[in-house]
Amino acid sequence: MGALSLSIAQTVLIFVGIPLAVVLIVVGLVYLGGPRRGKRYRPGRPYEFAPVWFLAGSEQVTPGHTAIARHTPVALPAPETGGDHWPGEVAVQHGETGGASDRW
Amino acid sequence: MTAGDGRSVERQAPERARPEVLDGPFSTTQLLRLDEALRLADRATGLTFSAYVGPLDEPVRAHAEKMLGQLTDPDQSVLVAVSPNQRVLEIVTGAEARRRLPDRACKLAALSMTAAFSGGDLAGGLVSGIAQLADQAGRVAEHS
Repeated sequence: MGALSLSIAQTVLIFVGIPLAVVLIVVGLVYLGGPRRGKRYRPGRPYEFAPVWFLAGSEQVTPGHTAIARHTPVALPAPETGGDHWPGEVAVQHGETGGASDRW
Repeated sequence: MTAGDGRSVERQAPERARPEVLDGPFSTTQLLRLDEALRLADRATGLTFSAYVGPLDEPVRAHAEKMLGQLTDPDQSVLVAVSPNQRVLEIVTGAEARRRLPDRACKLAALSMTAAFSGGDLAGGLVSGIAQLADQAGRVAEHS
C-alpha cells in the first residue's frame, strides 16, 4: 500500500510511548488528589477524627464552652422513678426536650 | 500518628479550631454546604440548628440533651448529634422548638439521615436532614 512507512522506533514511540505517557499522566493526577480520599467516614471502619460541633453562629454557645465539644464523663442523676428503665426512654424531665433517635 | 499530635496542639487553642475541622472527614465543599444548610435553616425558621459529629457518652440520649443545654437558648434550638463509631444519631429539640418540630417529623428526618450515613455520606445526610427539619418547622409555623 505504501501510504505510510514507519520505522520500528517510530512505531514503538507512537504505539507504546503515547499510551504509556497517558497512563502516567492519569496516575499522576490520581496521586495529586489522593490524600483527600482517605479522609472520609466508611461505615464499619473506626472513625478517628476530632469531634466537631457545627453552628451557624459561633456566639450561640454559652461562654465557657467552645464549639469543639469536650468529653468529660458526665455524672448523670439516676432516674428516681423505676431504675429498670432504658435510659433513652426515660421521660424527659428538664426543659421537656423532644426529638428522635436512630441507628444505622 | 503525627495528625493526632497536631490535633492535640490545636485543641489547646480554640481560636485556631478551623484547621482542625479541615483535618476532619469533610471536604471544604462539604463544610461550606453544611454551613449554608445551617444558616438557611436558622434564617428560615428562627430556631438555632446545630450539628455535632463525634463520640457521645453513654447514655447517648442524655449526653445529647446535655449538649443542647450548652447552647445559649436551648428551648429554641435543635441539635443533631451523630456518633459514627457508635452508629447513633440523636435529634434533640428544645421545648419551644419541639412545638414546631414534632417528634414524628424528627423521626422521619432521622430515617433519611441514617440512610445516607449507612452509605458513608455523613455530610450529605446532615445537609439533607437539616433542610428537612427546617422545612418541617417552617411549615408548621405557617399554619399556627
